[in-house]
Amino acid sequence: MSENFTIPVGPLHVALEEPMYFRIEVHGETVSKVTINAGHVHRGVEYLITKRNVFQNIVLTERICSLCSNSHPQAFAMAIEQIAGLKIPPRAEYLRTIADEIKRIASHLFNVGILAHLVGFESLFMHVMEVRERMQDVKECTFGNRMDIGANTIGGVRYDIDDERISFIRQQLSSIEKEIDELITIYSTDNSILRRTKGVGVLSQQDALDCGVVGPVARAAGIHYDVRIKAPYAAYDRLDVAVHTFQDGDVWSRAMVRLYEARTAIDIIRQSLDSLPAGPTVATDERPPIPAGEAIAKCEAPRGELIYYVRMADSPKPERVKWRVPSFLNWDALGIMLDRAKISDIAIIVNSIDPCISCTER
Amino acid sequence: MNFLKIFVRNLVNGPSTVSFPFGPAWTPARMRGRIEFKLPSCTGCRACEQVCAPGAIRFDKTPEGLRFMMWHNTCVFCGLCEFYCPTDAIHQSDDWHMAHAVDQKFSMAIRELIPYTNCSACGMKTLASAPNPVGINPPYTPEEIEQHRQLCPACRKKALAERGNPS
Repeated sequence: MSENFTIPVGPLHVALEEPMYFRIEVHGETVSKVTINAGHVHRGVEYLITKRNVFQNIVLTERICSLCSNSHPQAFAMAIEQIAGLKIPPRAEYLRTIADEIKRIASHLFNVGILAHLVGFESLFMHVMEVRERMQDVKECTFGNRMDIGANTIGGVRYDIDDERISFIRQQLSSIEKEIDELITIYSTDNSILRRTKGVGVLSQQDALDCGVVGPVARAAGIHYDVRIKAPYAAYDRLDVAVHTFQDGDVWSRAMVRLYEARTAIDIIRQSLDSLPAGPTVATDERPPIPAGEAIAKCEAPRGELIYYVRMADSPKPERVKWRVPSFLNWDALGIMLDRAKISDIAIIVNSIDPCISCTER
Repeated sequence: MNFLKIFVRNLVNGPSTVSFPFGPAWTPARMRGRIEFKLPSCTGCRACEQVCAPGAIRFDKTPEGLRFMMWHNTCVFCGLCEFYCPTDAIHQSDDWHMAHAVDQKFSMAIRELIPYTNCSACGMKTLASAPNPVGINPPYTPEEIEQHRQLCPACRKKALAERGNPS
């Protein structure tokens, strides 16, 4: 017996603990139409940001989203540095890269862990989170906070690492490296994972291009696009960054792209630590004056390309800040991924784009 | 099957959680926790007030002097105040034990006063704040800091000019 129903999914606990409301029309067990309704975590950050000076905004942008909390201030700082004509010292470029990659490992492992949770593989979920906890320890020891690491400032970085910390990071990396290799094997061979993720939520390369998806979602659909390669920032132009692409565009490919990227991030951090130049970590010790002007900066957040537009007038407060977050584009592709999916796969598919509702609705 | 190995390994290794609050919780040395304020080092430049993102730090002019006030419950532990403080008068300790009863919420603050004094050279009313060390080479000695604390801005300039190397 197959009948048509309309079911609400969300706004709570669709996949992550972020609110997002789906109105789903189903024909029997199969999704026939999806309407996505947003706006539950709108906090008016675009308004707030024009009411604070650029230094306070480094903290505000960091708190837009906890998982990409390094990419937001980094892109914002890059835009302000362009306006002010500041050149950040080489050591700061490497330290920014290290902070970026540490956050990337933690963010990707978190998403892959949630996938295991949604598949119902709780013991694997716990294990992935335990592996991720090592990265959280690194963040806590290096930056002083588990999520909002506060690495960036206008004109450089706010943290520095000495030999003792470098050896601690290296030690954590080598322990996590083995674990991630193990996880890659599990995610590519375990039947419980494969049965629920292979061929589910497919986004073809053409659809991916049409929707303009970015980040792991694009790379899993065979699009070779990574801001770290196409428009290198920080120290990425001096490092060897491997881009991983898959052709299938299903949930499994997206999870694998994330796992391989976490693996690559370890290599990138090691390269950065090897070639870390000495010198200052900020361009200027004092607060630099910011002239009027406008700039666009972009960086590769864990979810994909993040673009910041900043316009400054004759005031320490920005006149306008607009950002294009990766989830905004990936979100649109959900309509295609969810088309003719099974009801039980909805949560898995939604999680596979690693949605960041807080970024998108800000 | 691969996971079974990990499962057994995790079983043998035991739990990786800590038993807080029944046992001690490990805290890294760089942990960004409760703000500490050292009044003698404060120059009253108000940089921390200007960069404080949530507005937890406030300076008020009172008849007695310049009052520094900082609310712990408004603080977001971003560490900008410490980063921009020229004399390290403000510092984030690794103390994260901030839970308190509601009736103590108004005592969860730092209230300190930089008092007014009379300039030891010209007698003008001035703030007894520490001198700003930015660009001072060689750095101030502790005696010089105490000496400058008793001077008004104009007399501090004069003393610096006599000192030789004000950049």
